[in-house]
Amino acid sequence: MSDLSIPFERHRLGNGLRIILSHDSSVPVVAVNLWYGVGSRNEPQGRTGFAHLFEHMMFQGSAHVPKNRHFELVERAGGTLNATTWFDRTNYFESLPSNQLELALWLESDRMGWMLPAMDQEKLDNQRDVVKNEKRQRYDNQPYGDWDERLQALVFPEAHPYHHTVIGSMEDLDAATLDDVEAFFRTYYVPNNAVLTVAGDFERSRTLDAIDAYFGEIPAGRPIPPVPGDPTLPPRIGETVRDRVVADVPLPRVILASRIPPYSSPEFAVAEVARGVLGTGRASRLYRRLVRERKVAKDVVSYAFPLLTGASMLLVWATGYEDTRAEDLERAVALELEGLSDAEDAEIARAIAVTETDLVRSLERVGERADLLSMFELYFDDPGRLNRELDRLRAVTSGDVRRFAAERLGPDNRAVLTYVPEAQR
Amino acid sequence: MRTVDGAMVMGTIWAAVSLVGCAVGMSTTGSDDGSGSVEVGMGSGGGPSRGRQALDRDRVPAVGQPGSMSMPEAQDYTLDNGLRVVLVRRSALPLVSLAFQFRGGASGHPASQAGLAALAADMIDEGTTRRSALEVAEAVDRIGATLTSVAGYDVSAVRMTTLRSHLREALDVAADVIMNPTFPPTELERVRAERIARVIQRGDQPAALADDAFARALYGDAHPYGAPLLGTRESLSALTADDVRGYHAARYAPGQATLVAVGDVEREALDSLLAEKFAGWSGPGEDPPPLPDAHASGGGRTIYVVDRPGAAQSEIRVGRVARAWDTQGYHEVQVTNTILGGAFTSRLNMKLREEKGYTYGAYSYFDQRRGRGPFEAGAAVATSVTDSAVADFMTEIGRIAAEPVPQDELIRARNYLARRLPQRFESVDDVGARLAELVAFDAPLDFYVTYVDSVLAVGADRVRATGRAELVADDMLIVIAGDRSLIEDPLRALGVGPVEILGRGPSS
Repeated sequence: MSDLSIPFERHRLGNGLRIILSHDSSVPVVAVNLWYGVGSRNEPQGRTGFAHLFEHMMFQGSAHVPKNRHFELVERAGGTLNATTWFDRTNYFESLPSNQLELALWLESDRMGWMLPAMDQEKLDNQRDVVKNEKRQRYDNQPYGDWDERLQALVFPEAHPYHHTVIGSMEDLDAATLDDVEAFFRTYYVPNNAVLTVAGDFERSRTLDAIDAYFGEIPAGRPIPPVPGDPTLPPRIGETVRDRVVADVPLPRVILASRIPPYSSPEFAVAEVARGVLGTGRASRLYRRLVRERKVAKDVVSYAFPLLTGASMLLVWATGYEDTRAEDLERAVALELEGLSDAEDAEIARAIAVTETDLVRSLERVGERADLLSMFELYFDDPGRLNRELDRLRAVTSGDVRRFAAERLGPDNRAVLTYVPEAQR
Repeated sequence: MRTVDGAMVMGTIWAAVSLVGCAVGMSTTGSDDGSGSVEVGMGSGGGPSRGRQALDRDRVPAVGQPGSMSMPEAQDYTLDNGLRVVLVRRSALPLVSLAFQFRGGASGHPASQAGLAALAADMIDEGTTRRSALEVAEAVDRIGATLTSVAGYDVSAVRMTTLRSHLREALDVAADVIMNPTFPPTELERVRAERIARVIQRGDQPAALADDAFARALYGDAHPYGAPLLGTRESLSALTADDVRGYHAARYAPGQATLVAVGDVEREALDSLLAEKFAGWSGPGEDPPPLPDAHASGGGRTIYVVDRPGAAQSEIRVGRVARAWDTQGYHEVQVTNTILGGAFTSRLNMKLREEKGYTYGAYSYFDQRRGRGPFEAGAAVATSVTDSAVADFMTEIGRIAAEPVPQDELIRARNYLARRLPQRFESVDDVGARLAELVAFDAPLDFYVTYVDSVLAVGADRVRATGRAELVADDMLIVIAGDRSLIEDPLRALGVGPVEILGRGPSS
């Protein structure tokens, strides 16, 4: 057992920007990490994919930074950078040699405060093409590439903000305008909707001064409007809902998903442990029984989505062999989901031990540290939760997992997405 | 195993391709030669006394003193049984990274037995004289460790990362799978079936189709670099338990092995655990056979099309057989590639993505191996611009040899490589990976001590010379997995080279 003691301190600027500092000088690297409280859940009707397209526009320059300069300066400094958009949030991050910290603060503050003057139609059209190619490469040109679109539509009702995917639709991407960029920026890219974390090798007081200098004069925005649509929904789907796809894939795949309590619920820790018992590692139930013993699946995957809005989702998928019947695969997976009602203490200890090393390993990188601190601050107003993550999981008992399986993983709360190869039709 | 994590359903600004060379290193505080770059000016200082009013947002912030990072010294020694040990002490977190690396990989068996090295690697934890397959998995999970066993083109490796407190148990499992695998027939048949199913899946993935066709066209059937590491349906079907056993006996011997250990452990403690857990492990094994010749060539600009009716994009690969790992020439190759396609702001990505919007990302890399590895450039592009994208690839590749690189661009590339070094040594696994690469190539372990100086010394003349030697635009091989009915005619009209149709993927 290792108990985490990642140091951190919290500050807040007058404009509402939340600041986390976490010092560690073992390697001369510093991470700058920003989480904005906006994601695909905030997209208005007819603009699916816009939060992510907007993320791309954030790299197209700002009032004092010409196009391409952002990337050039960071790479010239020996830094790495990226950004990601998800359902509930968007994050931007750089890791740099520690003497280059101020460069990142300057770049991040310029686009937080002065992005709009640099926007034009040509940049929007260019990044729209890039994003459409991202969609083609990662979704449309991949076998089973539309699984998340189909699954989300099964698990979340049409009015719910998780009904549509982060990448969105080509039609909605085509419809996006510069006016949308401006409105989105003014509504969501405001200091009172963001967390800035600096982690790694830096000098404390100098860094606080620099943050104040770069970010302090950005005006606060209005309060963040509520999520569009209707985020409330029943805790269970109520039945087994299905989508069966005959597709140009060589192997059958079934994905079973259940609606589960959101990440903010204490019960989410139970979901994480349950999914570990089911599908983490080669000693897990699904791997042991479906892959090793019954040989109906060539691979299995399980995942509990850490989502905030109304409900979240636990999924399990299994890919069969050429001659596996999708119905048999589905039955085998369902049996394991329901079979969790006899989960034992030793399995739970195993699942938690694997999670523990994963977390400690990820904390070796200052970028990961910063990302987790930003998340816990933005989501839960509680960065210290990072140091208590393992306690949260260790508190889960076999009784909790059994109850969870009985209440959440039965056929009255199940979406089944099946891919059947054309050859098996 | 394909995993679902956030990344699968996340949009990102770019695919942070881990394609920038294979080894990069260490030592730092390299002096900034950015004096030639106007925008990295000496700014107004970033001291705490500066008030908000003084901030000039038009000015790039001044850079302070670079932090120093000294490479923790590697202890390099050989045990009585022939096992080489490379140990680096690092105690920031209570972790230990272990990598047992074995010479040979896919080069350690005939090319006709494609997939043997990877199958053997997959099989060693599927049952031993002391544990069943399930008991191995449970022993690893119980201590929260990770165990991976993989084969590359030149080496195979068994890797474990564990909390310091479980080092003894971790080494017990590592020793067991390395020394005592039994390759039970039922597990072998299951693993074979799984791997054949993966071959079938690769035949349905456009990027994999392009990669496999590219390697095969460059190296042919007789060279170990020509076949997928995974193997083919035919080769996997033909492999026997004796093949696996023979490969294991020849390669997984202490005389072929190096243990790279990084983390919170002292030599004395490690040696005593090794003596206890690996007692009785001995033998020189067999040296891998010499690699067949591969000509430093591409294919005279032949375009091979793997037909994917209805494909949403074209997966393009452009390249040729390039040089083997070469400690002296390493830095000029990396600087050259960074200018062309190794970073986000490299020429290929700027042209194909940020200027034209043809793709989510374009890249290039030199895959440096013990033998002549490939140079490869690539992108997934919209079908309608396939021909234009190929033309841009040829132009940008040829431009390295044709024109001197502007000084500012050269400085940017050198700084990117030199200054990024500390990030490549952040975790115990990072440090282990860097050292294991050096071991694989028989390179000196102090490679990183002079790394920064060597990178910063690469001049425009060396970049151009590297371009002339390796980036021969008239002798590139081009592979495209895409919808033939839409791309064939435009590609022929392009006049880059002859167009040959390969048909659908090999496994369908």
